[in-house]
Amino acid sequence: MTALAAPAATAPLLDVVDVTLQHRAGGRRVVATDRVGFRVAEGERVALLGPSGCGKSTLLKAVAGFLRPAGGRITLRGSEVVGPGPDRVVVFQEFDQLLPWKTVEENVVFALTTARGLRRAEALAIAYDHLRRVNLSRFAHAYPHELSGGMKQRAAIARCLALKPEIVLMDEPFGALDALTRERMQDELLHLWQEARFTLLFVTHDIGEALRVGSRVVLLSEHPGRVRADLRVGEGPLAVLGATAEAHVRDLLFDGVQDWTI
Amino acid sequence: MSAEQTLLDPAAPLRATAFPSPVAWLWSRGAVRKALWLALLAVAWELYARRLANPLLVPTALDTGRALVASLRDGELPARVASSLELLALGYTGGVLLAAALTFLASATRVGADLLELLTSMFNPLPALALLPLALLWFGIGSGSLVFVLVHAVLWPVALNAHAGFSSVSPTLRMVGRNYGLRGPLLALRILLPAATPHLLTGLKVGWAFAWRTLIAAELVFGVSSGQGGIGWFIYEKKSLLEMPQVFAGLIAVVLIGLAVETGIFRPLEARTVGRWGMRAPS
Repeated sequence: MTALAAPAATAPLLDVVDVTLQHRAGGRRVVATDRVGFRVAEGERVALLGPSGCGKSTLLKAVAGFLRPAGGRITLRGSEVVGPGPDRVVVFQEFDQLLPWKTVEENVVFALTTARGLRRAEALAIAYDHLRRVNLSRFAHAYPHELSGGMKQRAAIARCLALKPEIVLMDEPFGALDALTRERMQDELLHLWQEARFTLLFVTHDIGEALRVGSRVVLLSEHPGRVRADLRVGEGPLAVLGATAEAHVRDLLFDGVQDWTI
Repeated sequence: MSAEQTLLDPAAPLRATAFPSPVAWLWSRGAVRKALWLALLAVAWELYARRLANPLLVPTALDTGRALVASLRDGELPARVASSLELLALGYTGGVLLAAALTFLASATRVGADLLELLTSMFNPLPALALLPLALLWFGIGSGSLVFVLVHAVLWPVALNAHAGFSSVSPTLRMVGRNYGLRGPLLALRILLPAATPHLLTGLKVGWAFAWRTLIAAELVFGVSSGQGGIGWFIYEKKSLLEMPQVFAGLIAVVLIGLAVETGIFRPLEARTVGRWGMRAPS
């Protein structure tokens, strides 16, 4: 686990300051997150953990630039996020994030030529390299519909990492996979991180997954989402992972909430 | 012991799959089975026509075949078919271009979407042929009226399907495109257009089917007074002359062209796009 330890705190790469997000539902304004703030340093793996309805996915979309906060601001390396861009690449949960009309390889090439303006030959070399890293070399010429769910997510991760974004945003990427595949994908993700040391913001509602993937866990409460706690994995109450650590996180998440109200 | 040996013999199952009997192989081809049915129907037709012995009502299959070959040879039928297809191409292209413009408007603005939805719900159920009397009044007897009716037949189903296709592109795919910095027309071209391909193909197919039927029917209705008619006019003219084998030959030509467009253009197009991509075409 030492190889996966968090790096020393440096100037924040991503700064989320008092972000309030709202969306309309049935003509009514619903507050998704209420003055949420946290920072992500370069090379950190921050898991954004909360029950469904806490606005964590909405928050990730705001960081990606798909939504504008109603209040507060989001900055990346000091400049405010105003729209989507290839410096913040998202891996979604949905399998249809791969373009179905392109092969796995062409999906990566398309991302590189479109977002990075690379020439095809360069893009092909990078695509080949990243597909090898996620063990998809043999399926480079397969179309997405010919892949299993896990392979599709690996292709999406390869496509994301190939772009070398400043920060990788993952929105429950393994949420639609079976439990066994999910655990293997979490391990593979950590392997990829050890190779490339990218900065990761990982949204999940699974306590075990947050503790396994994150070097830090930011807990959000529900309705509206507020930061409950910000914990470093491997320190304090999370020094030793396992049932006790998970119980501690659960207590923090649902502190004061009766079981029947959940 | 011997049973075990045959089970373990690796060559036995291989041989069975490598050399199926020719009859089984032929039977496994859908086209062969359908051709057999076609032959059976032709024989039944021939027998019935001979028993009826009234060539004015039902000419025999052989006479029809001879008439078809003769009309093809003397160049009359090809000329009529060419005339029909030329009009069709004109009307089809016009309809598709107008549909593209309308869909673009509908995707760009909400007012455009409202307009498209209103127009398609009004005009899609209206049979194109019902506009023919009006078209004759506006454009006179001739190809102008036919093209107008064809455009109407193609425009609405194509626009309806294209609009449905663009609106049903998943939000995830749109976000993926925007994530790579694509916006506006580039997003439409590189993400929305290919993602809407199943709907677009369905629209083009339905539009073609509508246009082909409408054209033949329209030619039948006022082919009488038209100078150079198409294949519908050919059928009408031959019926007036009581040349029944030619009438049947004309009908067969209509069917064959329909089949050829479906199997020669649309099916390969689908196989190479949505089929290969695993995208289901909406029905």
